[in-house]
Amino acid sequence: MEKTAAPPGRPRRLPLWANPRLGLVVLLVLLVAFFSILRPAFLDTRLTLTPLQSDISVYLVVGLAQLSVLSLGHMNLAVGRMAATSAFAMGLTHDKLGAGLIVSLTVGLLVGALLGALAGLIISRTGVNSFVVTLAMDFALVGLITILYASATDGVAFPTMPAGMEALRFDTFADYCLGDICGPRIPLVVPIALVAALLVGLLFRWSRLGREILMTGSNARAAELSGIPTRTRVVQAHALSGLIAALAGFLLAANNGAFSAGIGDSFLLPSFLAPVLGGTLLVGGAVSVLGTVLGATLTQVIYKGLNLLQFQLDQLQLYIGLVLLAALSLDRARHVLAERRGAAP
Amino acid sequence: MKRSPFLRLGLGAAALGLLATAGCTKKADNEDTAAAGGKTADQVRVALVPGGAHPYFQPWKTAAGEAKSELKLGDATFNETSGWDQTKQNDVIKSLAAQGYNAFGIFGVAPENINSTFEDLKRQGFAVGSLASCPAGDVNKADFCLSTDTGEAAYKATKAAIEAIGGKGNLVHLTGNKVDSNTQRRIAGVDKAVGETGGQVKVIQVVTDIDTDLQTAQKAVADLLAAKGTQINGIVTTAYNPAVAAAEGVKQAKLPIKVIAIDDDKTILDGIKDGSVSGTVLQNPTGQALVGSYALLKLSEGCTMAQPGVVVDSGSFIVTKANVDNYETDRKAKTDELRSAFDGQYLTCK
Repeated sequence: MEKTAAPPGRPRRLPLWANPRLGLVVLLVLLVAFFSILRPAFLDTRLTLTPLQSDISVYLVVGLAQLSVLSLGHMNLAVGRMAATSAFAMGLTHDKLGAGLIVSLTVGLLVGALLGALAGLIISRTGVNSFVVTLAMDFALVGLITILYASATDGVAFPTMPAGMEALRFDTFADYCLGDICGPRIPLVVPIALVAALLVGLLFRWSRLGREILMTGSNARAAELSGIPTRTRVVQAHALSGLIAALAGFLLAANNGAFSAGIGDSFLLPSFLAPVLGGTLLVGGAVSVLGTVLGATLTQVIYKGLNLLQFQLDQLQLYIGLVLLAALSLDRARHVLAERRGAAP
Repeated sequence: MKRSPFLRLGLGAAALGLLATAGCTKKADNEDTAAAGGKTADQVRVALVPGGAHPYFQPWKTAAGEAKSELKLGDATFNETSGWDQTKQNDVIKSLAAQGYNAFGIFGVAPENINSTFEDLKRQGFAVGSLASCPAGDVNKADFCLSTDTGEAAYKATKAAIEAIGGKGNLVHLTGNKVDSNTQRRIAGVDKAVGETGGQVKVIQVVTDIDTDLQTAQKAVADLLAAKGTQINGIVTTAYNPAVAAAEGVKQAKLPIKVIAIDDDKTILDGIKDGSVSGTVLQNPTGQALVGSYALLKLSEGCTMAQPGVVVDSGSFIVTKANVDNYETDRKAKTDELRSAFDGQYLTCK
């Protein structure tokens, strides 16, 4: 599911060992082995592996939301707040209108897509940097969310959830059986995240829209001259980002057990980490969905492992930072080495 | 006609989905649920999990060690890495469970949805106590909630403030997160005490959301004193950081304002001794951790709650210059009293 658009004029391929995805897989295997040896509880299916999969699902989708605009070389700093606003819309639709799961989710996704489209529209019409536009949007939405929750609920969360959310929170496929054969202990949210990843991957790999977004990100002027409506593509990519952020908000609400104002508070940094660790360029023009899957998995495995080792607060943050820095440097070193080898065949 | 990959994928997924759902049945729900109980003391591993790092919870750390040796528990730990984020706190709790901790005393980050975390733990057969804060609303899904009655504590503090300013004048109330249900209870407690003066005392301002850290609180107090310092007769604080900031601020500004603080930070105790702080309302964090651990042990041994989800007040005490040197005795007495109340009243043991 490798999705990259190589910049034109560079047909040379990097050797297999220099593939950043392979590096991540090796690092993941090593870390899992390391944590399992130190803490056998790391392999406890019910208490560690199942919740870990739910967490990875949420942060994979968060990473995809950022990846959608990284494809343009843009950023979406409002990714968490878009998720929170959409989650509010979902909660409101259910709580006040009595809508079911699908309708509430659809309304929320629509709100997310509209917010994203609005950001994209401002960026493409005014030419202001996406960093500034989405930062401003983030600030505006922080205030809006507090006001909305204060007016629609007693506190900061909706007291009710649509039927089915409970199953998404607690159930795994092991709870569903076909005759005597039951599924594996995989939470129900996992396939949702995987389908989202697959669709985003297909979009950037096969669809004309996705290729045109990548071309716009690679060189906007060249894309414009080739007849690509770049402004529309910017709006579409941001709308996609908002839509996926809304999905992430939904998944986190399912995991946490409530549509609350706190959703999305912790999205910003992981949203960049997963795609960037996975080899998506910050300058745009190339994305890797598989890399994002691996990046999200890696960060969550590190977090879980360090948690299990029971580090104190300051140590925990220090070590997460150090491990990530090491992962990024290793990746960079391998890349530079590969480039040199490639340059002198 | 060439089919698009999206169409092919859609068809494939639909076929797979149909196959999976046809004849699929759900296992009985109660299979996973287990009851706490049947453990001996050395099998009970208690985890005390506050919402994040905050000075209020520091006594829990020592109390965990004390509970471990006194009650001969398998282990007792204190983990403050939740970072005031409910998602992170859930993760911390699951990690602790994976390491064999089987009884939890939790201060939930989000009172609005902490019940789902409690439910999750109860399903897995763990004993759960909600410590220092109860879930929002009328339902508590933990075995018990042992917390300061925040409304009552705020009421006591306001009564003390009214007395200090001589029964009439203007009060200001400084407190924490506005959208937290505990803060709402505190505001109601202050209003109740003020209402009883029949208009003699007025609350001229309620400043919320300044308990995040000391700097925020200091800035808010400085702004408040600059703008309204001369109109204020008394300040009631019902959160830790605003209390410390108000004690310092009023002392520095040399205004004749009576301050009623909360908790026993050194600044506040010193203020009471030198007269710049009129009094403080003490809570009982040590008692919460000690009695909470004790109740969790009893539940793990097989006792049950006479009334599941019962809310127990862990006590609040007014400390003034008169009793500043011996308030620990009162607090210790309250802790002992709580423990016997759990034995005689709240727990049913066979």
